[in-house]
Amino acid sequence: MTAVAAPVRLAGPGRLRRWRPGRAAVVALILVGIAVALAPVYWMLATSLKTPFAATSLTPSYFPHHLSMSNYNELLVKGVVPFKTYLANSVLTSVIASVVAVVISALAGYSFSRSRWRLRGPTSVAVLATQMLPLVVFVGPLYLLLLDAHLLNTYTGLVIGYTSFAIPFGSWLMKGFFDSVPVELEEAARVDGYGRLSILFRVVIPTVIPGLLTTGVFVFINSWNNLLYPLTLITNNSHQTLPPGLLDSFVGEFNTDWGGMMAAAVLTTIPLAVAFFAVQRYMVRGMTAGALAGT
Amino acid sequence: MAVASAPAPTVSGGPSLPARRARSRRRTPVFDWMALPAVIVLAGVIGYPIVRAVQLSFTNSNLLSAGAAKSVGLQNYKTLFTNDPVFWQALEHTAVYTFVSVAAAALIGLALALATENLGGAWRILRTLMLTPWGVPVIVVAFLFYYMFQDRGGVVNQALTSLGIIHTPILWLGTGKWAMIAVIIANVWSTTPFFLLMFTAALASVPNEVIEAARVDRAGPMAMLTRIKLPYLRNAAVLGSLLMVIQNFNNFPLIYSMTKGGPVYSTTTLVIYVYQLAFDQFHLGFASAVGVIWLIILLVFAGLFIRLMRTNPA
Amino acid sequence: MASISVRDVEKRFGNGPAVLRECNLDIADHEFLVLVGPSGSGKTTLLRIIAGLEAATSGEIYFGDRLVNDVDVGDRDIAMVFQNYGLYPHMTVRNNMAFGLRRRKLPKDAIDQKVREAATMLGIENLLDRRPRQLSGGQRQRVALGRAIVRDPAVFLLDEPLSNLDAHLRLQMRTEILRVHRAVTATTVYVTHDQVEAMTMGDRIAVMNNGLIQQVGTPEELYDRPVNRFVAGFIGTPAMGFLTCSVNRNGDRAELVRDGVCLRLTEEQSRKLTLPHGAAVVAGVRPENLRPVSADGADPELSVVKGAIEVVEPLGPEQHLVVDVGGEMVTARVDRDVAARRGEKVSLAVGAGRAHVFSIDSGEALL
Repeated sequence: MTAVAAPVRLAGPGRLRRWRPGRAAVVALILVGIAVALAPVYWMLATSLKTPFAATSLTPSYFPHHLSMSNYNELLVKGVVPFKTYLANSVLTSVIASVVAVVISALAGYSFSRSRWRLRGPTSVAVLATQMLPLVVFVGPLYLLLLDAHLLNTYTGLVIGYTSFAIPFGSWLMKGFFDSVPVELEEAARVDGYGRLSILFRVVIPTVIPGLLTTGVFVFINSWNNLLYPLTLITNNSHQTLPPGLLDSFVGEFNTDWGGMMAAAVLTTIPLAVAFFAVQRYMVRGMTAGALAGT
Repeated sequence: MAVASAPAPTVSGGPSLPARRARSRRRTPVFDWMALPAVIVLAGVIGYPIVRAVQLSFTNSNLLSAGAAKSVGLQNYKTLFTNDPVFWQALEHTAVYTFVSVAAAALIGLALALATENLGGAWRILRTLMLTPWGVPVIVVAFLFYYMFQDRGGVVNQALTSLGIIHTPILWLGTGKWAMIAVIIANVWSTTPFFLLMFTAALASVPNEVIEAARVDRAGPMAMLTRIKLPYLRNAAVLGSLLMVIQNFNNFPLIYSMTKGGPVYSTTTLVIYVYQLAFDQFHLGFASAVGVIWLIILLVFAGLFIRLMRTNPA
Repeated sequence: MASISVRDVEKRFGNGPAVLRECNLDIADHEFLVLVGPSGSGKTTLLRIIAGLEAATSGEIYFGDRLVNDVDVGDRDIAMVFQNYGLYPHMTVRNNMAFGLRRRKLPKDAIDQKVREAATMLGIENLLDRRPRQLSGGQRQRVALGRAIVRDPAVFLLDEPLSNLDAHLRLQMRTEILRVHRAVTATTVYVTHDQVEAMTMGDRIAVMNNGLIQQVGTPEELYDRPVNRFVAGFIGTPAMGFLTCSVNRNGDRAELVRDGVCLRLTEEQSRKLTLPHGAAVVAGVRPENLRPVSADGADPELSVVKGAIEVVEPLGPEQHLVVDVGGEMVTARVDRDVAARRGEKVSLAVGAGRAHVFSIDSGEALL
C-alpha cells in the first residue's frame, strides 16, 4: 500500500538500476554542462601553451602540438608588456583592500547581528542598498573627490574605492556568519568578565574564521575584477592594475598575440581561482543567510 | 498567603526597600560605534558622490574643467528625454542584456542543479567541475570570449564551420546583433555557476520528510518537481535573480572589454554610456543626469523585488 | 554572604506583555533553589535577570545587601552553566576553564592548579587538551560545570543544564551537580522544566507559571500543601487527579460529592472549609492515596471514588490505573498484583483527610 517508489534519490549515476530515458537525459545534461564549462578554460590553457606562431594561426589547432612556455616567458621575464608591475599592483591593492574591508565589515556585521540600537534597522538596510548602486554613477564625482584630495594615481585612492565597494555586501556576509554563532558563547564570556571588544576578538572572531576568509576572498575577487576604478582613477602605468593594463596591452583591432593574451589570462586567473575554490562552500551559505535573514 | 514570600530561612539583614524605581531601565542607544567605520566610508565614498552626482546633473560640468561648471537647470534631463536616441537605445540594451542573461543563467543553473541533485560521494566532483567558470575573473572571461569570438582565428567560428553549421564566418563582434549575443553568451557562461550553487543549496534544504511523504503519496517525478521542490526554490530564485539582475545592470568590465559598447552603440548599456559620456567625451554633467535617471529605475526595481521577497510565506 | 533577594521584579520586552510580574524571592546563602515551571513561565528570564544578562524593567536584585541592578554581569561574582553549555569551540577544555581566571589576572600557576583541581573533582583530567567538539554530551556538561566552579563564584546559576542529555546521563549528572554544590557551597539557582529534577535536587523550589511565582517551599511543602491547583497538578508524577464536586454539609462534617464520588473531610478540614452547602469545588487526589476496594462491602465511613478503568499502565513494581470518573480522569497507583482490566468498574478508597480542595474559580487551595 505504501510501497516506496523506485529509489530515485538513492541511486547516483554510479549505480544505475534501471535505464530510463529520464536518466539518460540527466546524464547527457551533466556531460554537456561539464563540456561547456570546461571548454573555454581548456582553450585558454591550450592557447597559452602554444608557440607564439601557432597561437596566431588563423586556423588554430585544437591541441598544442609543441608545448611551449614562451608566452609565459615573454610576460614574466622579457616584459614588453609591464605584466609584473600590473600583477604586483593588483595583488597589493586587492590584499590591502581585503584586510581593511574585512575589519570594517566584521565590526559592522557584528553590530548588525547582535547589538540593539535604535537606528540599526534603517542603517543596515541603507548599507545593503548601496550594494545595488551602479559604480559608474558615482565614479565621476569620486574622480573629482580624489582629484581634490590629490589621491588620483595612488594606491590609497584605489584601496578606498575597492573598500567602499566591498563593505555593504561584506557586512551582510559577516552578519550572516555572526548570526550563526550561539549567543550563549558571548554570554558565557560576559559572565567570565570580559568586555565587548574582548568578547568580539577573543571569542566570536575565532569561531567565524571561515566567515572572515570568505569575506576576504569576496573583497579580493571584486577588487581583482574591478576594471572601472583603475581605468578612471589611475592614468599612470606604474600604478596600473591587471584589468585595464591587460585591456590596453592585448585588446585592440591589430592585436594578434593570442598566446600572450591567454598566458596573461591564465596568470590572472590562478590566484583568484585558488582563493575562490577554497571558500566556495561558505560563500553560498553566507550569501543566502545574510540576504535572507536580513531586511 | 504563602505565595511568593515563603518563609525564607535567612535573609541576612534584609535589604532596605526604598520605593525608588530601579535604574536598570537602560535606554537603548541610538547608534553603535562598531557600525561607524562602515557608515563613514560609505557616506564619504558613496553617499557624497551620489549627492554630488545629482548636483552635477543640473550643470554643464566638464571633466577637463570641473571648476568652470555652470548651472543649466533641467537642460540635461530635457535633452535626455527629447533629443538623445542613444539613451533610449542604451536602456533597451541594458534590459535585453540583463533579462536574457539572468533568465538563461537561472534556467540552465536550475536544470544543472536538478540533474546533479542526487550525485553522491565522489560523483560530486562533476558539479564542482561545472562551477569552474565562477572561479575565472570577469576580465579573463572577457579576454577569453573576445578571442574565441574572433571572426578570423576564433575557435567558435572554426568549430561551427567544421561541423557544417555555418559556411561563412560570423562577424561576432563586428555586427550589432551578434555582438550582443556574444556578450550574453560570455555572461551566461560566467554567471550560471552562481545559480547552480544557489539552487543546489536550496534543494538541499528541502526537508527529507517532505520528499518521503510525497513518495508515500506516490507523487510522480513531475509532481515531485513542480509541487514539492520548486516551491522550496522560490526564495533562492527570487534572491539569486535580484542579485544577478543588479549585478548585470551594473556590469561594466565584460562588455567594455569585449566590445567597448560597439559596434556603433549596439552593445552600449547604460553603464557603458555613462562611462563614455563622462570619461571619453568628458560631459560629466550630462553623464550624471543619465546616472540619476538610471539610479531611480534601479531603486524602483530593487524595491519591487524586496517586496516580493517579504510577501513570500516563509 | 551571598544571599539573593529579588524585589518586585517585572520584565517586559519592548512594549510587549509582561513576562515576569511581581516577582519576590529570597534565596539564602549556600541554598540550592530550583526555579521550575512549564516553558514560557518566565523562569529562564528570571535567572537571566539575576545573572545580569537581562535588565529588569522594574524592581531590584540584591546580592547580600548590595543592589546589583547596575552591576555588570562580569562583576557580579557569578558563574553560569548554559543549556547548550556555551563552551568556546576554538579553545581546549583547559583554556575554556582558565578563560575566566585569566581575566582576573591570576598568576599562571594558580590558574593551572585551580583548573586541575576542578578537573579532578569532575573526572575530566584526561580531557583537558581536547576541544569541545571532540567531547560527548556528558563530557561537555562536566566541562561547563568545571568552567563554572573554577571561578569560585558566590552565586552559581544553571539554566536547564541537563535538558540535552539522555535519561540515564541526566540521572548521573543530577548527583554530580549536587555533589559539586556541596563542595563549593555557592548559592545556587537552578532552572528546569522537569519537576522530578526539581523535587530531587532543590533545598527549596519556586514554582513559576505565566510570569508569576506561584509558590516557594521545600519539596515536601509543595507536595503536601500546594497553594493552588497549578502547583498541585505540576508537582508529582503521575499528576494529581481533579474532580469537580459540590460541598455536602452534614452536621459537623462535610463531604465532597458527585456521581460516584464521596470524599469525607476530617472534622478539622470541615471546620476550615468555609463554603456553604451546595457550593462547587475542585477536589484533588494524589495517585498513591487511591487504593482499590471491593465495591459492595464498603465501609460507609470510607471516602470512595468509583469509575471505569480507562488505561492500565504496568510499570514493573506497580501499575497505574487511569480511571474515568464521570468524564474526569484520575490516576491510581496500585500494586502490581491487583487484577485490573480496561473497561472494568472499580471502587477506589481515599485515605482519610487526603483530599485537597481548590476553589473552582481561582484554583487556590481552600484547606
